[in-house]
Amino acid sequence: MATWLRNLIGPAHAGRYVLAGAALVLAVSAPAAAQPAQASGCETCHQDHPLPALSAPARAFGQTDVHRERGFTCVDCHGGNPNETDKVRAKAPATGFKGKPSGQAVIAVCTRCHSDATLMRKYAPKQRVDQGAEYATSVHGQQLAKGDTKVATCISCHGAHGVRLVSDAKSPVYPVNVAATCTQCHADPEHMKGYKLPDGSPLPTDQRAKYEKSVHYAAMTARNDLSAPTCNDCHGNHGAAPPGVGAVTNVCGTCHGVFATKFALSTHSQIFDKGCVECHSNHEIVKPTDALLGTGQSSLCVTCHSDGDNGFKAAATMRAEIEKLKAAIDRSHALVATAENAGMAMDEQTLALREAGNHLTLARTEMHAFEPKAVTTVLEAGLGITAKVDAEGQAALDEVSFRKTGLAVSLGVILLVVVALALKIRSLKTGD
Amino acid sequence: MTQQVFAWLDERLDLSGLRAFVADKTVPKHRHSVWYYMGGITLFLVGVQVATGILLLLYYRPSAGEAYESVQFIVSQVQFGWLIRNLHSWSANLLILMAFVHLFSTFFLRAYRKPRELTWITGVLLLFIMMGFGFSGYLLPWNELAFFATKVGTGIAGAVPLVGDFLVRFLRGGDDVTGATLTRFYGIHVAILPLITTVLLAMHLLFIQRQGMSVPPSVEKREKAGEKIPQEPFFPNYVLHDVMWWYVALAVLAALSLFLPWELGKKADAFASVPAGIRPEWYFLAMFQTLKLIPSHVLGFEGEMLGVLGFSAAAGLLLVMPFLDRHAADGRPSKVITAAGILAVIYLVVFTIYGYLAA
Repeated sequence: MATWLRNLIGPAHAGRYVLAGAALVLAVSAPAAAQPAQASGCETCHQDHPLPALSAPARAFGQTDVHRERGFTCVDCHGGNPNETDKVRAKAPATGFKGKPSGQAVIAVCTRCHSDATLMRKYAPKQRVDQGAEYATSVHGQQLAKGDTKVATCISCHGAHGVRLVSDAKSPVYPVNVAATCTQCHADPEHMKGYKLPDGSPLPTDQRAKYEKSVHYAAMTARNDLSAPTCNDCHGNHGAAPPGVGAVTNVCGTCHGVFATKFALSTHSQIFDKGCVECHSNHEIVKPTDALLGTGQSSLCVTCHSDGDNGFKAAATMRAEIEKLKAAIDRSHALVATAENAGMAMDEQTLALREAGNHLTLARTEMHAFEPKAVTTVLEAGLGITAKVDAEGQAALDEVSFRKTGLAVSLGVILLVVVALALKIRSLKTGD
Repeated sequence: MTQQVFAWLDERLDLSGLRAFVADKTVPKHRHSVWYYMGGITLFLVGVQVATGILLLLYYRPSAGEAYESVQFIVSQVQFGWLIRNLHSWSANLLILMAFVHLFSTFFLRAYRKPRELTWITGVLLLFIMMGFGFSGYLLPWNELAFFATKVGTGIAGAVPLVGDFLVRFLRGGDDVTGATLTRFYGIHVAILPLITTVLLAMHLLFIQRQGMSVPPSVEKREKAGEKIPQEPFFPNYVLHDVMWWYVALAVLAALSLFLPWELGKKADAFASVPAGIRPEWYFLAMFQTLKLIPSHVLGFEGEMLGVLGFSAAAGLLLVMPFLDRHAADGRPSKVITAAGILAVIYLVVFTIYGYLAA
């Protein structure tokens, strides 16, 4: 297998991939022909090597490794001759022995296969083969090209030995593990020393701490929502880089499409340098509340707008209208609950109130265009629903009242009849 | 005018004979007489069930796709539909309660003794039929709780030796509880059981009229000793008593229907997970709880099978009780049977409460 692969790829072929991507991931199962590799001569010596640095990789590769499971061996990355029992002859230059690749060599080794569409098609036909090209555009790749060897390469995120599929929950790049993997470096002040933001300020190392306070992290960890964003969903993975101030709205809009569309129509889209981040922050995105809108103390609008200007008035109007519908929905809910507790069937009204709630959500979405008229139109439709529910709820309570009156009258009549019967029975006994 | 109509009918139907029978008919009067009215109340509740059931039929649609919605429509849209549905549900439960009270009062007063064995047998069969009404009617609103309870209930029939699988398929109209089960239960509830009830009830009432009211053995002993037992005219005295109790039952029904309306719950969904607190109607709860407590295997036999056989045997014994307590007719009722009856009442009450608390 190893000979076949070397013949297919060859050293000259590998040289074409100077800056190549990181992914060692095989997302689909290997062809039936691919069998796990048997332990090679390399592992025979390395697994029991007294130096941990030399034994640990062999042991890790001997356990769970996606490459080994598909028939790859040590020589496919490291070169050498596994059939040679003598250590010197096994690593002779003629064997193509590369030793431990580092920096650009890692990229070259990995992309030798992972950028080869013909080869990858045999193992994972759906998998992309542009990781190397993407990596070259990343901050990591660009820094590496400049000779900075501290930056992440393929093995920094995926591991070198014991590599697992992305879909494997134990993989360091499984969604819930990504933040921890990235922040191995990015939360280490010592490691990040010297790296700066475009404005010249030091690159912060508190992103993970902030992210863990965010609504996205809560969705990922508390609700087990693996589609919730983590580092790579906004920054990219192989092409990892800050989105750039002009692109923030596009990045957020990949999930929050309607909000991004509304925002793009607004005046603010022309003014806000950082788009969504201006109000919602970036890593520490907490659950937004209506308090962010309006002219109150918690409002973000008053950061820029002051009493009297159009923005101030618009913020006040939109907030007031939203509060009006919220109050109406609460009132209607209370009325429906009272009627339900009295035994009335209020399923349709409960459903209608859910629809009114949808209008509230729509208004909160519409608000991102910062156009009070559009917001008011949506909210008025919601108020129409609550008015109808209120009327039906009141009618239900009137019906309850009617039933109770009816029961009281009926019971009164029944009681009279029972008393009359009892008297009649007594009169019969006494023979009157 | 009334006399003219009566005369016209009398000429053709000999109503004078019937009037004379009613006028001459008397009912014994003693300190246990109050128990006589339990049968009358049960009969009244049967009437309520028939009347409200017919009204519900006007709107109810017996299919898995429409049953739940039709009941929802009845309680929310139909004028007084809520009242009819609640009366039907509450009356069904009170009916079975009163049937049990009637059964045990008859049992302890030994009213089943010779010559009233057939009255007892038709009465016990009627109780079983009423429970069948309850079981089949419970599924008809096609809500989640009834759906899963019926699944469990019909599944228990599978424990019957030899014919268990056939019984389950027969009850369900297939391997599982589906729309076919609903249609089948509907047919049983509105056609088959009413037909059997009509025949049995007619026999039961005919036997009572033919043989007159039984008196307890203690009263009979006094009578044999020469004491004259007071009698009261069936009409109007006894009938007025009966009617008075019916009015009381009607008042209770109306109050329950308004203050404790019967919940409809969620629509049945075969793919939904089984909701918590699945349990049958209260009159099956003691049996259900017992089956839950029996170990899965007892002396090499399936526990559930033994339970079902045990209940079947108890039902059989109840049915032939007049023939087991043969000396009751001679004024020497069996003390063992009295003790068994007391134990049965205690068992039913305790296990029903236990079933509620355990759920």
